[in-house]
Order: sequence, then C-alpha cells, then structure tokens
Amino acid sequence: MHGFHGRFLHVDLDSGRPQWRETGEERLRGFVGGIGLGTSLLYEFAPPGVEPLAPENPLVFASAPLAGTGLTTTAKYAVVTKSPLTGFIADSLSSSFFALAIKAAGLDALVVTGRAARPVYLLVHDGAAELRDARHLWGKSAAEAESTVRAELEGAAVRVAAVGPAGENLVRFATISNEGRHAGRGGVGAVMGSKNLKAVALCGNQCVETADPEGVATAAAALRQRSLGPHTAKYREVGTVANLAVFDRLGALPARNFQQPTFDAADELSGESLTETSFSRRNGCASCTIRCERLFKASSGGEQRMEYETLFALGPLCGLEDREAVLEAARLCDGYGLDSISTGGTLAWAMECAERGLLPEAGGLRFGAAEAVLDAIPAIAERRGVGDLLADGSRRAALALGHDSLDWAMQVKGLELPGYEPRSLKTMALGLAVSPRGACHNRSGAYEADFSGKVDRLDSAPPRGALVAASEDFAAALDSLIVCKFLRNCFQDFYAEAADLLAKVTGWDYGAAELRLAAERIHTLKRRFNEREGWQPEDDALPPRVLTESLATGVARGTRLTRDELRDMLRDYYDAREWDEDGRVSEAKLKKLGLSA
Amino acid sequence: MTGESDTVGSAVVLAGGKSSRMGRPKAMLPFGEEPLVALVVRGLAAVFPDVVVVAAPGQELPELPATLVRDEVAYQGPVGGIRYGLEACRSAAAFVTSCDVPFLDLSLVSHLAARLPDHDVVVPHWEGRLQPLHAVYRRSVLPLLERQLQRGELRPVFLYDKVRTLTLAEDEVRALDPDGWSFFNMNTPEDYERALARWRETPASAPGGGAGRCEVELFGVARLRARTGRVSVELPREATLAHVWSALALKLPALVGPVLTETADGLTAGHVCNLNGRDFVRDGSRRVAPGDRVLLMSSDAGG
Ligand code: SF4
Repeated sequence: MHGFHGRFLHVDLDSGRPQWRETGEERLRGFVGGIGLGTSLLYEFAPPGVEPLAPENPLVFASAPLAGTGLTTTAKYAVVTKSPLTGFIADSLSSSFFALAIKAAGLDALVVTGRAARPVYLLVHDGAAELRDARHLWGKSAAEAESTVRAELEGAAVRVAAVGPAGENLVRFATISNEGRHAGRGGVGAVMGSKNLKAVALCGNQCVETADPEGVATAAAALRQRSLGPHTAKYREVGTVANLAVFDRLGALPARNFQQPTFDAADELSGESLTETSFSRRNGCASCTIRCERLFKASSGGEQRMEYETLFALGPLCGLEDREAVLEAARLCDGYGLDSISTGGTLAWAMECAERGLLPEAGGLRFGAAEAVLDAIPAIAERRGVGDLLADGSRRAALALGHDSLDWAMQVKGLELPGYEPRSLKTMALGLAVSPRGACHNRSGAYEADFSGKVDRLDSAPPRGALVAASEDFAAALDSLIVCKFLRNCFQDFYAEAADLLAKVTGWDYGAAELRLAAERIHTLKRRFNEREGWQPEDDALPPRVLTESLATGVARGTRLTRDELRDMLRDYYDAREWDEDGRVSEAKLKKLGLSA
Repeated sequence: MTGESDTVGSAVVLAGGKSSRMGRPKAMLPFGEEPLVALVVRGLAAVFPDVVVVAAPGQELPELPATLVRDEVAYQGPVGGIRYGLEACRSAAAFVTSCDVPFLDLSLVSHLAARLPDHDVVVPHWEGRLQPLHAVYRRSVLPLLERQLQRGELRPVFLYDKVRTLTLAEDEVRALDPDGWSFFNMNTPEDYERALARWRETPASAPGGGAGRCEVELFGVARLRARTGRVSVELPREATLAHVWSALALKLPALVGPVLTETADGLTAGHVCNLNGRDFVRDGSRRVAPGDRVLLMSSDAGG
C-alpha cells in the first residue's frame, strides 16, 4: 500500500490494551484521510447517543495521505470526536511535527476509548504502544507536558500532543495542543481529559512510500512555487490578523457580543499596526512554505502568537481595546488550553449578562474590563467561581442562568461564532447555520463568496445554497487530503489537481469525479452522524440577535437578516444538497454516496 | 538593472516654446480664471511631488507650485528644455510635457510612468508619430542630451536610438485615452477657441480641472508595502478604477508588482478593491466617482 500504512491503532484505556486494525482500502478511497478518515472512524466507534465525556466516546487522531510527502502545507492531522460543547461532531485540525510523527509511528489513525484509572500518557514508538504514568504531568500546561515528556524520552525523536489544565478540568471548549498549535474547536481537549489521558507521544521511523516519488517531487516543486505567489501574500506578509481592520471597514467585525459590527479601536488592534509596532517573528507549520503564523512582542517581555480569530474574540468581541491585554489573554488561553474563540464568545455573553444585571457574581466582567478578563480565563480553566459556569460554554451557561439570556448567547449548536458578522456576510450566515460542528469558519469557507463580488453580501438572494454546499465539499476535500486552506486559491482546477496528487501518492486510479464524490460523502457522513446523535431541523439556526436586531454601526448599518431570509436560504441549501426539505439526508443521497446501512 | 530607481516622482513642463502663430504667449492663455500653465501645473502637482517649469529668460509667469528654471541659452528647441528640466528634477525620472496641453489625462501619464522599469525613455505613439513632449525620461540620459545639443541635434528622437526606449503602441494609448485629447496642443487662435469650447463643456477633463478626489484606504500587504494606510487620488471626469490604480502606481510605486500589475492596469491575483464598503471589484472599467471610498485589500478573507 502506498501513502498509508493500512492499519490504525485502537487503544482502550480501560483495559490498557492496544489493538491493531486494518484501515481498509475501501475506507481510505472513500474517505481519503484526515477529517474524512476521522469521521468514518468516529461513526464506527461511537455508540449511538454516547455521552461526549463518557469513556465510550472515541477520540480519533487521523493522519492523511499527503502528510509526510513533503508537499507544502500538508503536515496536518485531524482530531475527531463527539463534542461536549455541541453534542454533535467535533472535527478539528492541527499541524506540524506531531502530524508527521503519526505517520512515522506507523499509524493511519489512533482511536482512543475508555478511561484510565489515573492520569496516563500514551506512548507509541515503532508500532509498540504503552501507557505511562502521567500524574507528574497533571496540572501542567500542554507545552510544559510536551517538553517534560520529550525530556524524559530523551534520544527518541518523540512528538507530543497534550491537554492543559482546561482539558483536565473538562472545560467544554478545551483544546489539544502540540508545538504551540491547537486542535481548537469543539472541546476535543475535554474529551481527552475525560479519559485521564494527558498526552499522546509518538515516534518511529516507519516511512510511507509513495507510488510515484518522482511525480510527487515534481508536483511538490510546482506547488511550492505557487505557494509563494500573490494568492498567499496576505498570509506570508501579514498573517490572518490582516482581517481585523478590513472587517471593521466592511461592517463585518463582530464587537461587544455582536452588538455592533465595527470597533472603535480596530486600528489600534489591527494586524497592520501590530506588525508595524510589535512584530517579533514569523513562524510556520512543518513542511510549509507560506508560514502564516505571527508572533508579536508583549510589553511584559516575551512574545505571543496571534491569529485573527483570537484577536477578534478577545479584543472587539469583549470590547477590549488594549492590545497588551489582548496579547496577555491569548497567552493565558494558550497556556491553559482553551479555544480562544469560545473563550471570548462565552466571556462576551457573561459581560452582557452582567451589564443587564443578571450575573451578580461576574467577577467584574463588563465590556472592555481587561483585568476581569485576565482573571476570568484562569477561573474558567480551573472551574473556579463564575468560571465554573462559563467553562460549559455560552449555551449551557445561558440555559443554567435563564432569564432569556440564551437570546444573546452567540452560538450555533453550542459552538460560539467566529469573527464573521452573519448579517453583513449572508452566504457566511447560511454556512454558520448549517455547519455540522456548529458556528464554524473552517470546515467551510462560505465567506469567500461574500468577499468575491459574485453575490451581494448584504442580500440573501439565491444561489446561496449551492455556494455553501460547494464550499463545504471543497473544505472536506482539503481537510481530508490534508492541504492547508490557505493554499486553496493556488489551484487552477482543484479537484483535478488534488486527485492527481492523491493518485501519485497512493497509486490509485483516482480522478476529479471520485474526489468530488468523496468530499460530498465526507460532509454527508458528518451530517448523518449528527442526525444519529439527535439533530433536529431547529438546530440549523442562528442566534436570535442575528435574526432580530439590525446592524447598529458601519457601512452596513441598518442591515438585517430576517427569519424568512434564513428559512429561504436553508431551503435553497437543502435543495442544492438534494436532501429532504427539513434538512435530513435523503435515502437516495445516502445510496448514491454508498452510505446507506 | 539592479539598484535602479523606477520612481517617476517629477514632472517637467516646458513653458518657453514659441507662440508665433498664436500671437500671444501660450502659457498665459486664460482658461477660466487661471492661465493655462497654472492649470497644467496644478493637475500634475496632484500626482507628482516635484514639478519643474522651464521658462524662457524673462518670460512672464504666474505664481506656480513648482520649481522654476530658465532656459538660459537662446531657444534650443525641446531638447534644451528637456535637459534643463531634468537637471532640476529631484527624482530619478520625470514626465515631460509642453505647457499648452489643456487635456492631459493623468491616468495615461501614470501608465507611462508605470512602464518605466527596464527602460530609459517611455514615449507614446499617436497618429503615427512619437510624442516626445508627452513622455517619461530618466535623468540618466542627461549626458547624452548634452552631447546632442553640442552637436546641434535638436530633435528628441535622436536620443531614442541610443538608450532603452519603450515606444507605446497607439492601441495601448487608446485604452486610456480613446480620442487622444492628451496630445491636443494649441498653435493657432482657432485651436485655442476649440480647446476653450471643449473645456467649458467638460472642465473636469482638464488636468486639475477637479472632477474631485477619492480616498483610497490600503490594508494588509498593500499598507505594509506602501508604508501608508490612506491616500487621496485626483480623479479625471468619468474616472474608472483603472485611473485610480494608475494614480496609485505613481504615488506609491512600491505597490507595483506585489499589489498592482507591472503595467498598473490591474490588481495582482489575491487582491481586490471594495467600493464604499459595498461592492467588491477587480474590473478596471468600473466607474469611480468623487468622494468614493476605495478599499484595497486581500481577496482572501480566511482567518
Ligand atoms: S499556511 Fe499557516 S496554517 Fe497553513 S500550513 Fe502554513 S503555517 Fe500552517
């Protein structure tokens, strides 16, 4: 077999027994790898209706066919499980050397089930798996755990993914981290913590051969060349933080818990001004020529990585104007292992509750209250005081608090919204409403249509459904091969070129049509998983604020997104997907995709 | 050529030419409330930080926002004027024109400037003739011009064989100035009457005639490359986005290549403009009106 090992490891923490299983060529062809492979394994291993934090919920780490081939931006892996935040699928990506180590350790994927009796870490080296005591790592940040394990296994080229205190304490938006990168959304870290699994350490020398090494090398050179062209200039020269100022001008920057789509201190917090005044260093994932990551100097000394989503969520969304406070808040989230989007989203909800007098013990949380934010983040990670409520995310916290506070919990399916204002980006609005993992900007790039000029972003006229469906499938293909989404515009004919890469790596006769079908299959299986776990039509929704309040500031001031508009867009989408009119995957579609039982 | 600056930061206006058939100095022909030379200089000053006016000894001129030099030797034709003008320039290259051109098209001027890299002279064709007094020259041609003057070669075209000259085909010119009003100059009272008539109809089409300005805000790569976040651009009448790009290329040459195409008539892949926070546009023919706000940004909004 080329491109894969053909086997994955299932470790049951209850028994401590590792079990090797065949991955199966049919599964690989049909689900490609990464998110696709992870979804397929989740579907198989999760008992229907499983509690996300119960031992039986599988935590899947999935490698991908392009990982380890040297192709630019492909050192990535997927983490897939049932989300403790949404109760639906959580499918997150992370990257860099740990991704390469999954392959090198001889795995197509790792499935972890059960719960260890006490904290452990899992070590897989050259095909052998063992559980090791991790009591000395408990309470440490992921980065500390990573360096401790690496030091203990000195001599082995080991790579480690770990949870921080937030994961240990079952914060429902805890991350899994490796090398400063995070599988961020949906609370995959809480699932890992619930298993008493502090870390996974991998090493080995198990190369995967590609079917056509020369062809792969040629393609890699061409892709590298393109990755340095104008399409990626934003990521190479500024990074994702470039979004902030532009979004402000477009009335698309959610601020103060989505009460306004612009922010007074946008220029102060902008990626451009951060770059001009505080740039420290550029960094990137392993095997990447784009290197979009930016670190900025903090006045306290030291440096902090910053991405747009973190900047938006901890800055404008919480009304924080002081960039030092935002950098510090980001540092805390990284250290404790918290998804910065959900942290910001949940804090912003709490701020609004506090300002409305509904949350008396809010620890001083108010829009713009930097000190209170810096106190609240550790409290969330350690589930102290109001932090215990907030650690469950905005939806659960709102349900616990009551008083209509769910109306301003800015989440879909329980996942807090990213920094794209739905009312002024209406294709994105639909994308957020229907995404299987909740309000997500990664598993589809629906906003691309809004920024393209192909549609009027302030209007919801068709064909939004087809655009969103195409974007989801495109993302499913990227996320399963895995190719970084920031390379997405460097292809002329994506499906043909990507299928050709896959063919060169695996030796399969694989064409654009098969890849398209696989992408649709992957997306559909996520949806099927959600249906199995209790999805109802009302779960494809947007927060009430988005559907009732018009935009208060900026160029799109006065723009609304009505319930009728959303309903029409949803119909258009289900239609484009050829699903039932209430959004259930039709039997015919399942058949076509080879997914019927 | 490495290390060569391609910045066209100067404009030279030759004001001292003969006006025998006109019967009075062309530079002082009134257009509205101001003399022609003032109109031309004002238009060029909107895009060039440095404007040089070359006048004859003793020639009467109004107050101008420009450096004034006198063509000291008795009239030596355009080559002499170009020479004096280039000498006084502060930039590595200059756009050179006569003063009797009421309908200069700033987007065409910007386009010529954008074509300078790897050349010493950029000169357009119009109606089968080269237009040396609507052309861009590098200062580095000065020694050659001096030798030409010593030999009495008073026509600019003698220079063109000796240096890297780019002649722009008429089609390329027409794309920006379809009727060639840029090259309309006045030699007789009848020409002046015609010009005045057109000017009264569409005063904004004249340089500095003031259709108005638009504000351009730069983001991301554009802002970091240009080292500025905002610029204001003078618009001709019926301006398009292509006019804005040409003007940007001239004001912020660092954008050419990374953000604007080499010929400054388009955006590189990965960039897009937004008009007034509303429409995303990459098409250069899109109209831009005075007071519009143009955002120049990455077209990839991924975060
Ligand atoms: S572009 Fe950025 S996120 Fe993507 S692989 Fe490179 S460094 Fe990682």
